[in-house]
Amino acid sequence: MRVILAEDEVLLRRGLQLVLEDGGFEVVAVTSDATGLEEAVDRHRPELVITDIRMPPTHTDEGLRAALRIREKHTDVAVVVLSQHVQRRYAHELLASSHGKVGYLLKQRIADVDTFLAGLRQVVAGGTALDPDVVAVMVARAKLSDSAVRALTPRQQQVLALMAQGHSNSRIATELFLSEKAVVQHTSRIYDALGLPLGSDSHRRVLAVMRYLSES
Amino acid sequence: MRPAVVRSTLARSFDRSLGTILGAGLVLAGLNAALLPLDGPVGHILALFPLVFLAFLGAGLRAWYRRPSNRIGALILFGGFAVWLGSMQNTDVPVLTAVGTIGATLILAVMVHLLHAFPSGRLQGPVSVATVTAGYVTSLVLQAPRYLFDPNGPAPSLVIADLPGAVALGGRTQQFVGAAVMLATAVVLLRRLVRADHPRRKVLAPLFAYGVLAVLFIPLGSLVLGPVFGIPPAIRAGLQLLVLGGIPVAFAYGTLRGGFARTGELEELGTWLGASDGTRPALAQALARTLGDPSLTLSFWVPRRHVFVDERGVPIPTELGPDRAVVVIELEGRTVGAIHYDSLLIGDPELVRTAGQVIAIAVDRERLTAELRESHRALRRSRERLVDAADRERRRIAQNLHDGLQVQLVLLALEAQQLANAPATASAAADRATRLRQGIDAAAADLRQLVSAVMPASLIEGGLGAAVEDLVDRMPVPTTLALDIGERMQAPALESTAYFVTAEALTNAVKHSGASSVSVRLVSEDGWLRIEVCDDGVGGANAGHGIGLRGMTDRIDVLGGYLRIVSEPGDGTRIEAGLPCA
Repeated sequence: MRVILAEDEVLLRRGLQLVLEDGGFEVVAVTSDATGLEEAVDRHRPELVITDIRMPPTHTDEGLRAALRIREKHTDVAVVVLSQHVQRRYAHELLASSHGKVGYLLKQRIADVDTFLAGLRQVVAGGTALDPDVVAVMVARAKLSDSAVRALTPRQQQVLALMAQGHSNSRIATELFLSEKAVVQHTSRIYDALGLPLGSDSHRRVLAVMRYLSES
Repeated sequence: MRPAVVRSTLARSFDRSLGTILGAGLVLAGLNAALLPLDGPVGHILALFPLVFLAFLGAGLRAWYRRPSNRIGALILFGGFAVWLGSMQNTDVPVLTAVGTIGATLILAVMVHLLHAFPSGRLQGPVSVATVTAGYVTSLVLQAPRYLFDPNGPAPSLVIADLPGAVALGGRTQQFVGAAVMLATAVVLLRRLVRADHPRRKVLAPLFAYGVLAVLFIPLGSLVLGPVFGIPPAIRAGLQLLVLGGIPVAFAYGTLRGGFARTGELEELGTWLGASDGTRPALAQALARTLGDPSLTLSFWVPRRHVFVDERGVPIPTELGPDRAVVVIELEGRTVGAIHYDSLLIGDPELVRTAGQVIAIAVDRERLTAELRESHRALRRSRERLVDAADRERRRIAQNLHDGLQVQLVLLALEAQQLANAPATASAAADRATRLRQGIDAAAADLRQLVSAVMPASLIEGGLGAAVEDLVDRMPVPTTLALDIGERMQAPALESTAYFVTAEALTNAVKHSGASSVSVRLVSEDGWLRIEVCDDGVGGANAGHGIGLRGMTDRIDVLGGYLRIVSEPGDGTRIEAGLPCA
């Protein structure tokens, strides 16, 4: 799988490159700023772009802006945005701009290599990967203001969070040590309780859950 | 409201003197009309003499009345007298004819004098003094051979000998010196025009041009108009008189240009000082009116910093502009202030110095206020620098943690996990390595919180709106947010102050109020960023449990904003802050 990596911190870039190559990804280009990233994407047409949010020259959010532009220009290129801090606003911008193939993760998640690589593959396959941290913020927020979310059982709330993170039922089952059948039961109850439209593909499911969480 | 005009006794006696001059002038004009042979063949031309004289009288008196300290008015009156004297040549009274002959060309010298003395009425520089003196010598002394040695001349009673050679020599000398005077005058005036700034040049250029042409036209006009254009002598004389009559009007207008208020006397300034109350922002204005220079400024000495400052406490530039002069005001031997004025408008620095002495005590009093303002400004600037430095330091620390420690924790955790995943690692060690990775992840989460408290990433990356949104997202009680602050703000100090005030208010609501809901509003309107945080908690907040907020007031003060806390017991707490944004 062909990947382009944009990260201005040399050590982290090198570490990430090794993790990717060990995981069977082919790193076709690395850059340290957003402009270089967009040029490299135009040239190499990779399957996946991994970019830091804060990069030179302004050290604000140019990585995210570049990611949004890339998703708009090349619908076949999956994009995963990494950051030292995750927030709802950026998660929304990324989800709203595309039909899947986006990820938004804390940099710290790299360390849990297997989960991280699984997330990348999930995104390349057309899915979504949202950091547990940002999902937790949204679920906590919804619990404060929405009685339907508050009324869910703790287990259902766990399932809801994992759904929002972009995981499939089988993955949720593994994560919670449940049978896949049990997960399906939980999800359908959640759908009923929140009045969500039933969606087959994982990204639509994430979108529906996220929309529900942010409207609450 | 117009300030009441205080007329001192001295000013009233000045008014009376001008009245007397007016009366005498009218008598002279009457005399002139009576003595000139107005019913003769050129009577209608001669009738112009009293009119020209009246023009000088009127213009001179007006200029003198409006600007008592300026000598142009007196000079114009003197010119009127010269016209009157010259016109007496044409009477039939032998004595008056003789006197008129002696002073026939005096008016030309006075006109040269006017040109050099404009606008202050005082001659500036030795070249002007020499040129004007030469002008008077040409008109009064070098004129003498014409009537002393020529029996066929205009005043036979003055002839002492018949010396045609002397008459010719005198005439040539007079022409030569007269030409030299005019040349010198032209050079001096041109240099002044070149040095003058644009608005002044607009006044000076036409006036100088008219004056020089008039001085040349009146004696030489006959040479050109008669032979070249064939204009009869009577009309030539009439034209010359009309040109002459324009002189006083032009100079009086030039002197009073810009519609200056009438300048007052120093005594009036003193009376005004005594009459007005202690607060006197108009001191400089009163001084400007008294000295007749609207561009006059007053500055105050700050000994601590060795600078002059204006009334707002802002230091003024030390170098002087063109045509600006400065007089230092002293009180009991120490410098208290300075007066900057237009040296062309006010020719005599003594006048300014005297005015400065009159107001020295008042200046000293205002000086203390200006000094206080200056030190207040300095203090405020230094506090701004402190807040700025603190912010920059916070950003630097946050950036260093972001680039350094946070990256290292990612790499360390990665290392631990790779150790755990390595096939060679025994399963017990692999478990410990995985726990190590999780421990590092937890430390990284703590570090994220620390960084967030120092200078949140959301503020650096997404600005105030994103940062406050993130803050509200993480509130443990239901919190609504109304945000209307437009695009990213430019001033980092404003953004971070607004963020920290909001964060502190939210912390207070969570920690102390026991609120079940909170609302946050950030609006930018009318050049103000307004922050409002309300909760429905127990209220009764006071400075005691708002220590963090009190710390914020310092920051808010520095930016010129406000902070209000309304917190009645049992009625929730409402915190309002406003920060001016450009």
